[in-house]
Amino acid sequence: MPTVKLYANLRKLAGTKEVSIPGATVRAVLNELVKQNPSLQGVVLENEELRPHVVVTLNGHNKIDINMQVQEQDVIAVFPPIAGG
Amino acid sequence: MAGWSEKVLDIDLSTQTYQTYPLDMEMARLFVGGRGLGARLLWDMVGPEVDALSPENVLIFTNGPLTGTGYQTSNRFSVTTKSPLTGTVLDANSGGFWGMQFKKAGYDVMIVRGKAEKPVWIEIKNAEITFHDASELWGMRVFALTAKLGQNNNKRNVLCIGPAGENLSRMASIMNDRERALARGGPGAVMGSKNLKAIVVEGKERPVINDPERFKFMLYETRKLLAASPLTSQALPEFGTVVLMNIMNNIGALATCNHQQTQFEGADAISGEELSEKYLVKNSACWACPIGCTRISKTEKGEGEGPEFESTWAFGAQCGIADLPAIIEANTLCNDLGLDTITAGSTIACAMELSEKGYMDSDLRFGRADQLAPTLEAMAYREDIGSDLTDGSLRLATKYGHPELSMSAKGMEMPAYDPRGMQGQGLLYATSNRGGCHMRGNMVGPEVLGLPKMIDRFQVQGKSSFVILHQNVSAAIDSLVICKFTNMGVADEYFARVLSSVTGIQYDTGELTRVGERVWNLERLYNLREGFTRKDDTLPSRLLTEAPTEGPSKGWVVQLEPMLKEYYRGRGWDENGIPRPQKLEELNLADLLVRI
Repeated sequence: MPTVKLYANLRKLAGTKEVSIPGATVRAVLNELVKQNPSLQGVVLENEELRPHVVVTLNGHNKIDINMQVQEQDVIAVFPPIAGG
Repeated sequence: MAGWSEKVLDIDLSTQTYQTYPLDMEMARLFVGGRGLGARLLWDMVGPEVDALSPENVLIFTNGPLTGTGYQTSNRFSVTTKSPLTGTVLDANSGGFWGMQFKKAGYDVMIVRGKAEKPVWIEIKNAEITFHDASELWGMRVFALTAKLGQNNNKRNVLCIGPAGENLSRMASIMNDRERALARGGPGAVMGSKNLKAIVVEGKERPVINDPERFKFMLYETRKLLAASPLTSQALPEFGTVVLMNIMNNIGALATCNHQQTQFEGADAISGEELSEKYLVKNSACWACPIGCTRISKTEKGEGEGPEFESTWAFGAQCGIADLPAIIEANTLCNDLGLDTITAGSTIACAMELSEKGYMDSDLRFGRADQLAPTLEAMAYREDIGSDLTDGSLRLATKYGHPELSMSAKGMEMPAYDPRGMQGQGLLYATSNRGGCHMRGNMVGPEVLGLPKMIDRFQVQGKSSFVILHQNVSAAIDSLVICKFTNMGVADEYFARVLSSVTGIQYDTGELTRVGERVWNLERLYNLREGFTRKDDTLPSRLLTEAPTEGPSKGWVVQLEPMLKEYYRGRGWDENGIPRPQKLEELNLADLLVRI
């Protein structure tokens, strides 16, 4: 199963830093993530679409289409709105 | 005129005299304040014949028409000088309270010239200017000195140098309000070279606002906008700027061990999440700031402000150190000694690589958290190995025969973002007028965070237009002067309306961006006059030729040349990076071209 890594306040909301979630696409994995962690509903996804400013990377690549296929060994990282400099 | 106090305070330390005179309001209209106004004044006062640490260099402190008005984050001010680190034009900008107090003292600008025969400190109480003997204060560290001179956040504010400035370290900062810094480029060394230990300000005047009712409504609107943005209402207050550590590491753009790698295995241990969970005492905020991104952190050795992302990275990933308490303590120590954390950390990292490769005889090694504090002490006092490090990584690496190991642009150490994983950031560093810096525009928004929209971070073609826009907007915001974080919740177009309501001069969106472009071109002209050329618009060879061998940025180097050519064209400069006369005419800078 793909690994999902969570950051910032998502860790508190989900109670974990990392979790394995099944799914054939990034979208499917995120939907399942939210299903298993209802506290992330409205934070990561809203109406099955990414919330504004949420960044999702696939194996460290940040300009992705969330309909992309994922493999067993893939790592999806999810960041809530963050900023700095 | 509303917004500006229309008054310049001009101090000559050699004679310990001062004069006041009216601000040139046409100059103020064109350059607004802060960084822009400072650069324009420096152009007239300090030419290529002046050594940065000589009495002929000047320190120009400027606030802006928004400073002290109560507009959100209108606490900031700038110092402009010729940089002793880079030899370029330098402005450094800081928040806290001092800038607001300086505005309330009734001045837009304070010029400090000459050199005092003995150490002095200056006290400003509106029209009353007093020179005090600082012989007994010389040698004091920043925290003790700030307390001794009576820092009181809303009433009396202290700006000073620590031992690093006294010892003319080219990475010395000027500190204000105890732990805020005019950090980069060595302005503290210029202050030290003048035997000036501190400037204390008390002010009683209220800035005049042209249209108070409209301004009041804009305060309300801005408050709503900042509260509605998840970036300014949640992300920055909750985790501070250090929250960027994990995402930069995740995408393979976190410079590590003097830019030898682009990912750090200890990143999570020094992240914003770790800081908030284990060391955060509370948040803090600058004057008139509803965002409150400042961290107050505590370790067994005490409490201090920060650390910010760049400081955490400089002593962390860049030095291969995953010990967060040691990093927090190094940051606090830098504030007390008056050292720039980015240059200090990156210079130590450079020394670590030089030592590990046998080019330099020292025991400095990556990962050695125990070496941070003693090395910083030695740097501030120019003792032992510190005397080699305290003038920055380029001078250090050059001394030991390997200048290519200095991770700097134009002699200023770059911050955390490894541009091999962010092509636009590479162009930004190479063309920054004060050297390797992320505060002259920052591509982390569009290239990493998708702000306002995600663009391909590896794309080269077309990238220069984003860089130019970010540089111009950044120069405009630095001239107002407000905090760039405000721009995460409020569009820059809105700032033009705020400026109009405060000053009564109609600035539209285009005009404010033109102010930024004007400032950028003026700074470019200054550097050209100093002898900088196209060949200085470059990066360390490591970033141009050595691709990471693993991680998401594997195989990438910075494709600088094509971006640079496109950038010059986009700026209206010739193929050598010299602004064309037509561009300077357009920006009301034509008279300056004749003089380079």
